Amino acid sequence: MSYVGERVARIDAAEKVTGGAVFGSDITLPGMLHGAVLRSPYPHARLVGVDTSRAEQAPGVRGVSAGRDFPFTFGASIKDQPFLAIDRVRFVGEPVAAVAADSELQAQEALDLITVHYEELPAVLDPWQALAQDAPLLHPDLHTYERGRHEIVPHSNINTVARYVHGDMEEGFRSADLLFEDEFFAHALSHAAMETHTATAQYRPADHGYTLWVSTDRPFQMRSELATALGLSSDQVRLIVGYVGGSFGGKNTLVAEAAAVALARKVPGRPVRVELSREEDLVASQIRMPAFIKLKTGVRRDGTLTARRAEFLWDGGAYASNAVGIAIRGPKAAFGPYRIPNVEYYSRMVYTNKEPTGSYRGYGTTQAAWACESQMDIIAHRLAIDPLHLRLRNGLQEGDPWINGQIMHGINARETIELVASEIEWGTIDRAPAPHLRRGKGIATMIKETATPTSSNVVIKVEQDGKVVVLCAAPEIGAGQATVLSQMAADAIGVPLAAVSLPATDTATAPYNGPVASSRTTYHVGNAIQLAGLEIRRRALALAGRVLGIDADLLDMNDGVITERGVGPRANLRDLLGTFGSEGYSLVAEARYSSADSPLLKADPGCEWVSTIFWMIASQAVEVEVDVETGTVRVLKVAAAADVGRAINPTACEQQIEGGVVMGVSNTLFEELTMEDGRIQNGSFTDYKLATIQDLPEIVPIIVESDHPEAPFGAKGIGEPAAAATAPAIANALFDAIGIRIKDLPITSVKVLDAIEAKRVDEAHGDDLALD
Amino acid sequence: MIRVALTVNKVRHEAEVEPNLTLLEFLREALYLTGAKESCGVGECGTCLVLVDGHPVNSCLMLVADANGREVETIEGLANEGEPNTVQAAFIETGAIQCGYCTPAMVLAAEALLRANPNPDPSQVREALAGVLCRCGSYPKVLDAVRTAAAKGVHQ
Repeated sequence: MSYVGERVARIDAAEKVTGGAVFGSDITLPGMLHGAVLRSPYPHARLVGVDTSRAEQAPGVRGVSAGRDFPFTFGASIKDQPFLAIDRVRFVGEPVAAVAADSELQAQEALDLITVHYEELPAVLDPWQALAQDAPLLHPDLHTYERGRHEIVPHSNINTVARYVHGDMEEGFRSADLLFEDEFFAHALSHAAMETHTATAQYRPADHGYTLWVSTDRPFQMRSELATALGLSSDQVRLIVGYVGGSFGGKNTLVAEAAAVALARKVPGRPVRVELSREEDLVASQIRMPAFIKLKTGVRRDGTLTARRAEFLWDGGAYASNAVGIAIRGPKAAFGPYRIPNVEYYSRMVYTNKEPTGSYRGYGTTQAAWACESQMDIIAHRLAIDPLHLRLRNGLQEGDPWINGQIMHGINARETIELVASEIEWGTIDRAPAPHLRRGKGIATMIKETATPTSSNVVIKVEQDGKVVVLCAAPEIGAGQATVLSQMAADAIGVPLAAVSLPATDTATAPYNGPVASSRTTYHVGNAIQLAGLEIRRRALALAGRVLGIDADLLDMNDGVITERGVGPRANLRDLLGTFGSEGYSLVAEARYSSADSPLLKADPGCEWVSTIFWMIASQAVEVEVDVETGTVRVLKVAAAADVGRAINPTACEQQIEGGVVMGVSNTLFEELTMEDGRIQNGSFTDYKLATIQDLPEIVPIIVESDHPEAPFGAKGIGEPAAAATAPAIANALFDAIGIRIKDLPITSVKVLDAIEAKRVDEAHGDDLALD
Repeated sequence: MIRVALTVNKVRHEAEVEPNLTLLEFLREALYLTGAKESCGVGECGTCLVLVDGHPVNSCLMLVADANGREVETIEGLANEGEPNTVQAAFIETGAIQCGYCTPAMVLAAEALLRANPNPDPSQVREALAGVLCRCGSYPKVLDAVRTAAAKGVHQ
């Protein structure tokens, strides 16, 4: 029996449909208190004084914390963020003080009794303004902060600079017949996971350590961030992670955790839960990083790309969080899955007095692909080449060199494009059912690398009753990793799927894993599971050989049944381990997989840091219907293909593809955080619209496979690429429908109507302006 | 404090509660039935959906006092001795589950629909489920699940 490749039911399904699955806010602990957070009303102000004395006397209040009580800072790449504001506030909604009380209501009410004296400072709300010589500085001491080795500009708001060149740009542009220069904007988006940021923290006076029950996608990275911030060792910070109610990259740093920890320190021994309200989650957690993107591309008349230069200005918000890596790595996706012999990027991220930003399902790829694929369409129309053919003409294929000379392996880009084009009947036009409606089709593709190098460790143990426990710090965030990892474990060992379980992550017992991010889990943890699983199998067969007195080489195990070659079933794993009775037995094996030493990473000298252990490629083709009287864009159909390597569970892959499209449509047409004077105006789901089931287009998910030499059972990743091609595919379809090119997201009906009006005026003046 | 008596998953409960206590808070904090979730707290997302006298209700918007004398069904009451009911089984079978945070609400919304209308057309299904947001975007498979459950005919 093989489970890999099968549409087995998710192993978390039964718990989730019966209400038994335990998420962060479902945990109630003895003596647990409820925390509430007082937040800054100003985008930028000096914190002159915080008086918490009255709040401390309020009914039910057990502890109050302000920045001066807990003067630590944290940050994944730059230690720039306080747990609670210390001497200044840098965005509206920044935590200033927090209260722990017997009830949530008491905690909320006590916040009103805290007096804060602010001295307003000029705010930097625009990333271009942040670059100005005389711009107010959010972090005047940036150069003194503890940080990684990346480039910054001291005494400025620029917290990240990244540059990359491969090839000869001058020659590349010189050999082009046409140069295209376009500017694009990708907007801020909330992750809007249905479970808001939630954390429960307990301070342990005996060892000055903390235990946290958190919803995060990266237990080890969060533990390290917290331990580093507080100067604690790994045993002093224990994270327990149950089911995570959606992450999409958002649950990567100390959000609710920061206030919970600061409060826990005030009430030794008592757990404190901090659960963000939806409004707090929308306006004061973390969002997708907005980006201004300029692309300059050289093209020959036949459509061959000769060079592309990409310039990114990232609007990073008040703290660097985990966004530094986006500014460094995200621009790679601006070159698309295309052969471009000469490439260059220049990327800067700036501090602004706004909500912090960070990873968002694609780590910069959604922004970069928006620019890349919009411009590809512009180029195609200008050259009068079919947008599909332009992409195929330049498309990367197995064996091609990537932007750093690394030889591409295990990709099947072409098939993803061809299949979506065929599914949408590319080249044909459906007639709209009414004169005010226009229909159009658009296509877009994308490429993403994965964080490299990273590693995963797993420990597998088999209990005496044959049950298999896989210990790996890969929380189930919804993407189905627990199921696909179990399928791989069952096959590698040779046991029934029902025997396998992945317990909730506890950093005290689980071995190290990189984050459940970068679509890396199936590949990296899967590789470690395959190694450890094969070792368990070897040991089980060796043990069986000893107990049965047979040469282990003659034994095989499938679905937990041990067979002797030429003889037949001899024992099963459960009975084998059961023979040890009360003496006891645990069959244990561990393994580590790291991409660090792979020969696949070889690249041109000096460009090795760009290498990736695998590439994900996805393409989408959409059909839209535009109402030219209202400007409303409706997505009718989306064909979405992803090159997944090999589908461990096709249903799980479809969930990611379909979910990515739903998110992509929602991001593109409905979602926008509107801001006035540094204050987000729409902190609710009434005003920050998510796609509902009523907005669902017809989605055709298409799984494309390829052969990756190091992938476990052939599987790569799929979580991120699913969402990136949707926005440009919609914009390209809009252009196809009515000849209007939107370059700044989101595509709102107001924007479309304005563009229609502007086009009318231009045409009335006889000015034959192509809108691109 | 006021006195309330209501039935939750066929069990009668009597309690002294604050007049401003919501049904959601009562279910989660007094009865430890945590299947209904709070995601917005103001009736915008539907993750707290439960059935009151068979009708879908956002339990964050209903005071427990208003549930006095009524029958409440939560996701925990749907399975029979741990055996998933038809709708739950259909969600499992079709893969209509991702992070699972909205799943209890989706399942209950589908259950209420099929009880009232055993053969809904696609637009009726969409309308009945439109009040529950799913950020994972499990909508296509949720539609499959409702179709699969309806086809079993047990709600006829």
